[in-house]
Amino acid sequence: MGKIVSASVQKDAAEAIVTSISEVAGIKAEVVERSSGTHTRNVVVVNSSPTSWRSLAEKLYSDHAVDYCSMITGIHWPEGDDDRKWEVVYHLLRTGVRDPPSEDGVVQPIIVNPSTVRGFGTPVEIEVHVHLTDSRTPSIDSVQDIWVGADWNEKETWDLVGIDFDGHDGMRRVLLPHETPRGYHPLQKQHNLRYHGFEEMYDDAQGFMRKPDDVGKIK
Amino acid sequence: MAEDGQNYSVFNSRMLVDVVGDVTDEALKASRMKDVIGVLAGRVFNWGQRKSLFPLHLGIKCCALEMAAAGASRFDAERFGVFFRSSPRQCDVRLVNGPISKKFAVPIVRLWEQMPEPKWCIAMGECAISGGPYFQSYNVLEGVDTVIPVDVYIPGCPPRPEALIDGFDKLRQKIIRIGVDVDDVRPESDAPVIIGDE
Amino acid sequence: MAEMWISMGPQHPMTHGLWTLKVKVDGETVVDTEPDLGYIHRGVEKICEARDFTQITTYCDRLCYASANTWSHSYIYAAADLLEVEVPERAEYIRLIAIEIQRIASHLMWLGAYGPDIGNLSIMVWCLREREMMMDLLQELGGSRMHYNFPRIGGVKRDLPYGFAQRARAKLKLFLNRIQEYEALYDESTIFLVRSQGVGYAKPEEMVNHGVSGPNLRAAGVNYDVRWAHPYSVYSELDWSAPVERSSIKGADCYDRYRVRVEEMRVSASMALQALDKIPGGADTHYEPEDPMILAKAPSRAPEGTSGAHHFEDSRGESMFYIAGGGEGRGKQPYRVSIRSPIFITIPFAAKCMIGYKVADIPAIMGSFDPCIGETDR
Repeated sequence: MGKIVSASVQKDAAEAIVTSISEVAGIKAEVVERSSGTHTRNVVVVNSSPTSWRSLAEKLYSDHAVDYCSMITGIHWPEGDDDRKWEVVYHLLRTGVRDPPSEDGVVQPIIVNPSTVRGFGTPVEIEVHVHLTDSRTPSIDSVQDIWVGADWNEKETWDLVGIDFDGHDGMRRVLLPHETPRGYHPLQKQHNLRYHGFEEMYDDAQGFMRKPDDVGKIK
Repeated sequence: MAEDGQNYSVFNSRMLVDVVGDVTDEALKASRMKDVIGVLAGRVFNWGQRKSLFPLHLGIKCCALEMAAAGASRFDAERFGVFFRSSPRQCDVRLVNGPISKKFAVPIVRLWEQMPEPKWCIAMGECAISGGPYFQSYNVLEGVDTVIPVDVYIPGCPPRPEALIDGFDKLRQKIIRIGVDVDDVRPESDAPVIIGDE
Repeated sequence: MAEMWISMGPQHPMTHGLWTLKVKVDGETVVDTEPDLGYIHRGVEKICEARDFTQITTYCDRLCYASANTWSHSYIYAAADLLEVEVPERAEYIRLIAIEIQRIASHLMWLGAYGPDIGNLSIMVWCLREREMMMDLLQELGGSRMHYNFPRIGGVKRDLPYGFAQRARAKLKLFLNRIQEYEALYDESTIFLVRSQGVGYAKPEEMVNHGVSGPNLRAAGVNYDVRWAHPYSVYSELDWSAPVERSSIKGADCYDRYRVRVEEMRVSASMALQALDKIPGGADTHYEPEDPMILAKAPSRAPEGTSGAHHFEDSRGESMFYIAGGGEGRGKQPYRVSIRSPIFITIPFAAKCMIGYKVADIPAIMGSFDPCIGETDR
């Protein structure tokens, strides 16, 4: 039969992470069961304050071998409370991947047996929610130097939602055209899906006459 | 005695070509052969054009996979003379097969300008006809015919390869109707060509 | 030597999809690269905020058009997490068959497009011939050649048609024989071996830190696969193991990535055959649409404060949807749909892998990471 990581092993690993990171100030963590209609998975769900995000990220990376940044999502809640107007959701994974060793110059592949993983080899999902206060330019610490996978995710979040990342090197538009007007982030809730009239967003609805916005940034 | 620089060749070839050309032209016009040759040559060019349509090797989105499937072994399009070329300077049909975003609007007009006349454009799939399922999106043009003149529309999402081959057939019938020399049918686009920009 | 930036611009026969790769070359050696995406950015995430949950499935098919079924299933699992539905087991088996056949079709498309990059033009028509076989099977299941809109929240849209099991078994067995032809064509070609071995090295820990997963990671000697690491569906009932390639000391090169995908096609074919044998209710029975054996009743509203997320093993890596509920229509539409595309993260990594090699190696390296720009630009 195909071997999978058993739910109880994952639950133990998740609880270990939860007990460890709950000691950091400003963090509320718990283990949540998710099913997606089939197997139950145990996910670590963390609520962090913006100031403790960076230390939490460093702790996860160094103490708990969380080595994979999957996705960074920015959400705009214009009708939320004052300190919950913007939300950044980080999805991180611990994969348990290590470089395979080489004996006599020949690399031996690491074939993990899923039913016998334990400890730091157990794959765990971690979801971190950070709520930011209301601001025209919300920002949060960048984790680009911890996980390189966060690099383009942060660029995309700034590009589409407008949440800036402190300490991010080389922020630029990745999905929208480079000459999009500064301050236009389409996934904010005050923007319509489409602008037909040409007084609305910028003068030409098809966007032919715009000047480049980040001239020095792209080579 | 000759001086330096004096041209000895009474036989100036340039003048000879002009003189012979004018004389032949007058002779053909007088005997009405010119019309016959013109019609025959036009028919031959038209036949050559429509039997060997070279589309551009440009795949924008999902319809590109159906375009590739149309060129593959099951629905072989090469037996119809359709052979994909990589450079826009060497092709005569633009097959637009996906939604045009604002970022791609400038390159697609430039690719259209780079194609030599006579050229035609086929809009394949819903996204190229009207924006498709992304009709209401902030970044998608409502159809490629807002920027390029389109000759044939092939609906479908994505259209089957048989539909694409049928689209080429309709283009062939259109070429028979309008002829190869299309200057009087379609006006020149007035977007400027910028070489070397970006 | 003079250094200059060359723009392998949006229209280029080598780039699988519509994006620009700006390459800084010093003579013939690549010194720096910069990818430029966004040419088919359609704003799917914003459109999905104005659609019902069932209507979003059609958009997810069109995200990565080469492997449409895997993306719509990825969305459906996340929506099932949000709306909290229990899916019947027969539906899971049907979904697994659809996903694995789609994975085979996607890898065939990659294999067929990789050949012309290297210079082998006949493999393209051979692979597309097999892909037509797989697309016929998927057309029987889903109704159209490419965008099937096959899963529903709570199950699948339709059961296996009459005779599907017999045709699928015959075609998959024929396909397993044909894979040997492709291997022979590639492995016995010196040009292919020279162009793809020793090029584009990548080590596993570096790849994981960059966010690369899937076959690109398994080519480097580690067998991390989301299907066993964060389990979903009925993969535990089948006998399979994720294919791994033994790489060199410097990491995985293009040849390893090619071999891993060929092995994945074999594994997927055998998984589909096993699923046809083990499906509850038998593969020859046919239930009408909306029968509780294949479709469970699902709620259609998700109140504010709920969210659903699901990691999924797509043909190109680990894809993920995060859906926040509570949108328009008192929760009939989502508040935010966020899509994680594996290739969006792999492209900057692949661009880094190219530094130090020659210009002629760029198509080989870029093609071996299997980019599909539809999911990148969303």
